[in-house]
Amino acid sequence: MNKILYIIDDNSNKDYKYKIKEDTIIYHFSINSSNNVEIDLVKENISLYYYYNNINYDDNEFKIEVRHQKNNTHSELYNHGVNVKNNKLTYYVNGIVPKDSAKCICNQENQIINMNDGKSTICPNLLIDNYDVDSNHGAYIGKFSEEKLFYLMSRGINREDATRLLLTSYLINSDSIDLNKISKFINEIEKI
Amino acid sequence: MLEIKNVYCSITDSNLNILKGLSLKIKEGETHVIMGPNGTGKSTLAKAIMGHYKYSITKGDILIDKKSILNLTVDERAKKGLYLCMQDPTVIEGVSNSEFLRTALSSKTGTKVNLYSFITDMEKAMKEVELDSNMLHRSLNMGFSGGEKKKNEILGLKVLKPKYIILDEIDSGLDVDSLRIVCKNIKQYMKENKDASLLIITHYPRILEYLKPDYVHILKDGKIRKSGDISLALEVEKEGYTGINVMS
Repeated sequence: MNKILYIIDDNSNKDYKYKIKEDTIIYHFSINSSNNVEIDLVKENISLYYYYNNINYDDNEFKIEVRHQKNNTHSELYNHGVNVKNNKLTYYVNGIVPKDSAKCICNQENQIINMNDGKSTICPNLLIDNYDVDSNHGAYIGKFSEEKLFYLMSRGINREDATRLLLTSYLINSDSIDLNKISKFINEIEKI
Repeated sequence: MLEIKNVYCSITDSNLNILKGLSLKIKEGETHVIMGPNGTGKSTLAKAIMGHYKYSITKGDILIDKKSILNLTVDERAKKGLYLCMQDPTVIEGVSNSEFLRTALSSKTGTKVNLYSFITDMEKAMKEVELDSNMLHRSLNMGFSGGEKKKNEILGLKVLKPKYIILDEIDSGLDVDSLRIVCKNIKQYMKENKDASLLIITHYPRILEYLKPDYVHILKDGKIRKSGDISLALEVEKEGYTGINVMS
């Protein structure tokens, strides 16, 4: 059984520090906020799934660092942002596996959708000192795919509604999320 | 009536014309087939009719009931009754099949669709196309097999009830049983909707054993070079495109 945490930030600058000792899922919903997150995986054979979903209107930064302090630890980071206006949004995403931690899995997937002409930056870093590690990263900055919009619109859905469908699926990117706990964030999606 | 009038079409931001003066009239209740060698513009025609962003009509017109649709957006064209069954339907992670179809149906009717009646109707339609009902709740086309994707396109057709249906190689990648199911559903749809018309784009006459065409056209170098009845499709099967007398 996973431990599940929900974080909702609204126009705030908060730092978070976690020492993870059991399988954990963290759903972090951030509205126009800057955040600094530090996570240590401090017990063997545990996993962390971190979903960061962010709606951005001003200049903001998100920093997250996951440190694999033990053998056979597993981290999956999914960082999804929407830069609504013409502002700066920057993600610094660090996955760290020291020399003493073997057989770790350390993955990260980062995306920022620019709704206008905002300047977005993603710095995906994997700092791996052990040879026996499975690690991947990916970063995408851009607009929603025109091909997807075309497909939705070809069934009579207008561009605004098609974009909203894509936005919702992009920002609420796990079937396990309890929607009752993130009503504020869902309302914010409606405002975009 | 869907009318394609002397259409020239190029890839957007390119001077290369793919369609070069293509004309075609599809009246209510008619079934037309377009065949042609690879790279001759068949799928371009399908996407250009639907208003795909990669293609620009540089000359000519496309009309529905004598009114040009060239200035309409993709969704407005769909609301005019156009429906393109795509060769390779787009995968959209996170948007469920049911959410997609319900939104599309709401857009078409202009009213919010009742969830209970929608689910009931969908279960019936899914049974008819032999799709597992749990696929309704899966991400759109994600992890679907080739056959399931094509059946899902037909499911959309049954839900949205369009008037002008374009099947872009609906038969490619389908096994014989899936092809039979897909064609059976299209045939039934055409029977129930007498004013609907069909434009089939295909390489193989096999689909025409199920969906009898009124006209068969051979497209080559961006233009219809020859038209006839089903015997023309059989001639292509036997002789190939090089073996038949096509104006160049």
